[in-house]
Amino acid sequence: MPIHYPRAMLRAHRLHPMELWGPPHVERHEGSRHFQAYTCDIVVKAMSFIRSGGLGASKAILVPHTCDALQGMGSVLGDFLDPDQRVLTLYLPRGRRGSDHEFLQSELRRLATTLVEVSGYEPSRADWDEAFEAEDAADRALADLYQRRDRLAISDRDFYTVVRSREYLTAEQFCQQAAALPEGDPPERGVGLMISGIVAEPALFDQIEAMGAHIAGDDLACGFRRVYSVSAQADPFERAAYRLLTSPADPTCGTPIQARVETLEARMRALGARGLLIYDPKFCEPELFDVPLLRKHLGACGFPVLHVEFEMGDRLPHQTLSRIEAFVETLS
Amino acid sequence: MTRLEALPHYVESNRFEHFVNYELLGKTALRVQRWRDQWKIARRRPRPDSALNPPLRSVVHMKEIMSRHYLEGRYAAGVRKVAWVTSGAPTEPLQALGYFLVYPENHAALCGVRRKAQSIAEEAEHAGWSRDICSYARTDIGAMISGKTPAGRLPRPDVLVCCTNICQTVLHWYRVLADYFECPLVLIDTPFLYGEANDHEVAYVKRQIEDMICVAEEIAGKSLDETRFREVMTNARRGAELWLEVLNRSQQRPAPMTAFDGFIHMGPIVDMRGEAVTVAYYERLIAELDERIERGIGAIKEERYRVLWDNLPIWFKIGEFSKWLAERGVNVVASTYTFAWGELAPMIDPTQPLDSMARVYLHPILNRSTGHKLDAMKRMVDEFQLDGVILHSDRSCKPYSLGQIDQRDRLVKTLGVPALLLEADHNDPRDYSDEQGSNRLEAFIEMMEPRA
Ligand code: SF4
Ligand code: SF4
Repeated sequence: MPIHYPRAMLRAHRLHPMELWGPPHVERHEGSRHFQAYTCDIVVKAMSFIRSGGLGASKAILVPHTCDALQGMGSVLGDFLDPDQRVLTLYLPRGRRGSDHEFLQSELRRLATTLVEVSGYEPSRADWDEAFEAEDAADRALADLYQRRDRLAISDRDFYTVVRSREYLTAEQFCQQAAALPEGDPPERGVGLMISGIVAEPALFDQIEAMGAHIAGDDLACGFRRVYSVSAQADPFERAAYRLLTSPADPTCGTPIQARVETLEARMRALGARGLLIYDPKFCEPELFDVPLLRKHLGACGFPVLHVEFEMGDRLPHQTLSRIEAFVETLS
Repeated sequence: MTRLEALPHYVESNRFEHFVNYELLGKTALRVQRWRDQWKIARRRPRPDSALNPPLRSVVHMKEIMSRHYLEGRYAAGVRKVAWVTSGAPTEPLQALGYFLVYPENHAALCGVRRKAQSIAEEAEHAGWSRDICSYARTDIGAMISGKTPAGRLPRPDVLVCCTNICQTVLHWYRVLADYFECPLVLIDTPFLYGEANDHEVAYVKRQIEDMICVAEEIAGKSLDETRFREVMTNARRGAELWLEVLNRSQQRPAPMTAFDGFIHMGPIVDMRGEAVTVAYYERLIAELDERIERGIGAIKEERYRVLWDNLPIWFKIGEFSKWLAERGVNVVASTYTFAWGELAPMIDPTQPLDSMARVYLHPILNRSTGHKLDAMKRMVDEFQLDGVILHSDRSCKPYSLGQIDQRDRLVKTLGVPALLLEADHNDPRDYSDEQGSNRLEAFIEMMEPRA
């Protein structure tokens, strides 16, 4: 489950993660037997998917503690629903202090003991090294993709299809796919937008392109917020914790608003974005709290902000599209 | 304009104003008000048409204590260091350092009880905060930007202390406060306990409390006095023990107070735990409850059904609910929410203040799994001999509410007690439908009929 988790650690234990962000086209119905209507789609749809046997042969469900909604999901799954898979949890500290690093290392050690039980495999030193090497390479490839964005001859939809393939491909497959992207002039681009939020479905990029705009950069939980810095500590837990605790600004990680604003402003200037589109799943509290202050502070720096909420899997309502269109027009 | 200039209602007082308006005139006026209330209560004739017995006499003392607290708040900025803290924050060191504490959640609840929450929350909504965020946060953010509050005025914080042991919402909310007030935000991050607490979790919380003390000392310009700290811890433990005793008095039949009374009487243990006045207040309340028990006086006149309330109260409906249910013979005798401030009393150890605080502040019911909460409810059904459970599905409070659907199913299936999921919101009347609520409550009462 979203958002942050220790990939290299899973790999060292010979486990491969497949991420569940919804899935968007699953109905809420089955999940609604467990969660109230005011719960976000990521949680309710994932629950529907799990309850209808969508996980197949997976061995475990890892629920990182991202927000109150995922906390509830992890707890309900573990306490009441007894799925075929082992339910694993991971508490991600909301600070970036020495105490947070120390805690996360211990928390990862705890998780590692359960991973050994799940996989039946105790990684050797060589396994850890190999896993970090592979996952660091994939992290680098992702960072590199963002750096090369304006030299890639692909649409935003194709770009984000590759970015998001990290959610299910192995590190090697991802690196190959990223390396294979054709360089050249990107398609006709139009007004540059920065997009923020948890997740954006491919259809949105098509719509934005049709409006004469493009995504200059993102602040998406499924995108740039997971461009991790590569680390080199000798201790695997220290290394994994460092990776997670140096991720880019993210409200679910407790980044102070001012720091988030400054990062966004600097990136928007560097990437030539003219406005910020905040695109949130309904009922996402971590995102909702920041919206008025992003609007206020970025507005003061000359960057207009538009906030829209959506329900996953639904076609974007006409009204939402009209609002985005009007926003793009004001930026043109 | 700086951010603080945008909040002109946060003014500083001086020692003279504090002394005259609070110490001298304010306290005296509140004492006189209490005497008048006592006199009124003493003269009140029993009302044969009411399903409720007369309210507890102690309530006038509680009103005085709480009003005094809010009154001092008006004049605290500039005179005492002020900390705004979450309801589950480890405040004892701050108290020992002489901080004046503001509990924004309690303030929001006050707005709810006074039926002012919606109009104040709308101030936040007009400023862009979504109706889908917690209504406590909306109410307080609305009060912060507009200055509207039934408390008269709140003091500007010198420091914000946010403890995530109730939810992550508070962290998002306090980040907003930090942005407005431009003051330090101290985070006490408490890992959610899906099972039992691990050593590294306790150590993490302890270290953060130590770090909080360093920040608080620096802001206060003085060091923590160990003797005073221990005294506060002793009061905190005693206050929590007494509060637990208060709540457990409702195991008696008929119960001498309702959970709705409990929601009101919890003010001191939330806002002033660690203070001697809280200890004295609950001693008084227990004495009155014991007197009622001895005389066989229940909170309601005819107690046919005994019910548990899960989750926060619906603040704007407390009075109405209490009356409506009493008229149907329903006494809501216990709630999981009020117990949260008492059940951890045995863990508080004044001789090991930091270690015990780390454990205590990791273990509130809201920081524990949905299964743990179900077990707590089952235990209460047994200990309080309950006939049913109302689970308030609180649109605002996801950490408390997610899991309730499965909890209700298990209460019904394993214990055979009727359990109702009641959709509402603790502070926002727009999320409660009277008609639908009453229909569902009527049906729930019918389901309890065979148990009467
Ligand atoms: S969409 Fe928001 S509320 Fe839902 S799981 Fe993601 S972070 Fe949590
Ligand atoms: S989400 Fe719940 S626990 Fe958190 S502040 Fe709101 S009411 Fe309190």
